[in-house]
Amino acid sequence: MKIITLPKENFAEFVGHLCSFGEIHAPIKRGDRSFVFAPVKDASEIELDCVRTILPLKKYFFRPMEVMFNFCAGEGYEIPSEVTDKRIVVFGAHPCDIHGLNILDMVFNGRYVDTYYLARKSKAAIIGLDCIPDDLCFCRSTRTDFVDTGFDLFLSDIGDKYLVRVGTSLGDDMVRAAESLFYEVQKEDRDAYKRKSIERRESFKTEIQLQDLPGIMDLEYESQVWQDVGETCLSCGTCSMVCPTCYCYSVFDELDLDGSSGRRKRRWDCCLFKDYALVAGGHNFRAKRSSRVKNRYFHKQRGFVSLYGRPSCVGCGRCKAQCPSGIDIVDVITKLRSETRV
Amino acid sequence: MSSKPKIGIYGLTGCAGDQLVILNCEDELLDIVGATDIRSFPMAMSGGDENCPLDIVFIDGTVVQPKDEEMLKRLRERANLLIAVGTCAVWGGVPAMENKFSREEVKKRVYGPTGDLFKTITPQPLSSFVKVDLSISGCPIEKEQLLQAVASLLHGDLPRLPNYAVCTECKMAEYPCLLIEKGHLCLGPITVAGCKARCPSYGRPCIGCRGPVEEANISSEVRLLKEKGFTPSDIQNRLRTFAGAADSLQMESLKEGTNA
Repeated sequence: MKIITLPKENFAEFVGHLCSFGEIHAPIKRGDRSFVFAPVKDASEIELDCVRTILPLKKYFFRPMEVMFNFCAGEGYEIPSEVTDKRIVVFGAHPCDIHGLNILDMVFNGRYVDTYYLARKSKAAIIGLDCIPDDLCFCRSTRTDFVDTGFDLFLSDIGDKYLVRVGTSLGDDMVRAAESLFYEVQKEDRDAYKRKSIERRESFKTEIQLQDLPGIMDLEYESQVWQDVGETCLSCGTCSMVCPTCYCYSVFDELDLDGSSGRRKRRWDCCLFKDYALVAGGHNFRAKRSSRVKNRYFHKQRGFVSLYGRPSCVGCGRCKAQCPSGIDIVDVITKLRSETRV
Repeated sequence: MSSKPKIGIYGLTGCAGDQLVILNCEDELLDIVGATDIRSFPMAMSGGDENCPLDIVFIDGTVVQPKDEEMLKRLRERANLLIAVGTCAVWGGVPAMENKFSREEVKKRVYGPTGDLFKTITPQPLSSFVKVDLSISGCPIEKEQLLQAVASLLHGDLPRLPNYAVCTECKMAEYPCLLIEKGHLCLGPITVAGCKARCPSYGRPCIGCRGPVEEANISSEVRLLKEKGFTPSDIQNRLRTFAGAADSLQMESLKEGTNA
């Protein structure tokens, strides 16, 4: 892997160069203390210290709501051209965000290929940026605090410079387009990088043990914990919307008044919704909230491990940060574990 | 002789705001008129047919006066499908806000001596009196939902309306959470979506104007609002404003973790 450095005084100019690779999207402030990925014109708008945005990066590739195709009787159907046209450069993706996208890649580019997701993803450049965890981050526990693939460039703050890892040939093109801004790695850069890595590792305040969790979840299938969480959960859908790896969607048709045309759409779905497991005839496989909550945890921490060899949780802390009723995934898992120990 | 579905659009007691939304579908009105046979729409046209059988009747407003009840029952007899339009028709709306008090007392306080000139009954949604085939809530209703409903009904189908909370749309649009960030008394978690979180988009909390989402977890919502320092009467007043008649919103009879 090619590794170079970018002095911080060159950062703004580098961001200026990125425009030629697509519209730049980076974290900006929204509200009193929230952040969102949104288009930026120049480096000064970027909130480099943002810990987490409200929505993760999936919003760019797997839209909250999208038209899959327009249809008209007699004429057939047509996929909106917007799906494949636009190039974007996402700047400021944290390791957990990139892991989230890597997990979505596994799902959407697996047995059933999702062309909508892939068309948008293939037009996007991802530039990662290191972060300092807050007390909701538990990505060290999910092993997503560091990332090796899934980015074109990855910047790590090493003081007055960024250490830049080049992940793809597109990333290399970005560097070459602004070659004079970059420098070779020196000994002091290596030392600074290692020192910063240790500092970062030591700044994690939250940790949970996940290795043997699938087995414990099976053992604790009837645990009171699920009933308790079911009583607190509002079924409001927030945790799924903000989750980097929740990928369920619901497909429906909207008809026009002419009686012959319309559009097929899809929107983000959530397994906590009452209708999620409702089937024809009115039977609901998960009619109780506690069973829906349990299903969500099982899918993330148990089912996904069986299918893909790792949990789909990336430890970003969004579900805890955004839950109106304060449900804390770390707390839920800790309770399940302690029940097992007793 | 027309094969187009015969439609009636009526209002009971209320502000008629939902009928106004229908009239405000300016770009689509010609399509609606082209696809349907509007036999009666007293708010918009005179000379309607008040006796013919109807394929679909749209009704807004609350049953507040004895004549509302009579009219509603008569429309039910005439119509194949009866659609409740707006939060008043679906949940009782603002007229049902103070159902805890006697009608006589309310009438006296609001109208003084002139209150004796008319009769009222306890304000209730349409479903308290007749079978309702489809409910489109909102104060007022969303134009897009109405048009989707009409299009689906013309195809002999029922529309797919959101059956999830305002929070879902609020997060889809990436608005900061007003409960968490501002500590506002927001009813987003228990109110049915469809408005695309319009109030939170302006930094204002959801006041529940669309009525409760199915299986709303009111006890958890009340608990979290109390933790933020709101008094039971703050919460009760907000819950009662638009859907006071809804069983699920009665604080006195809150059961812990309903359907947990």
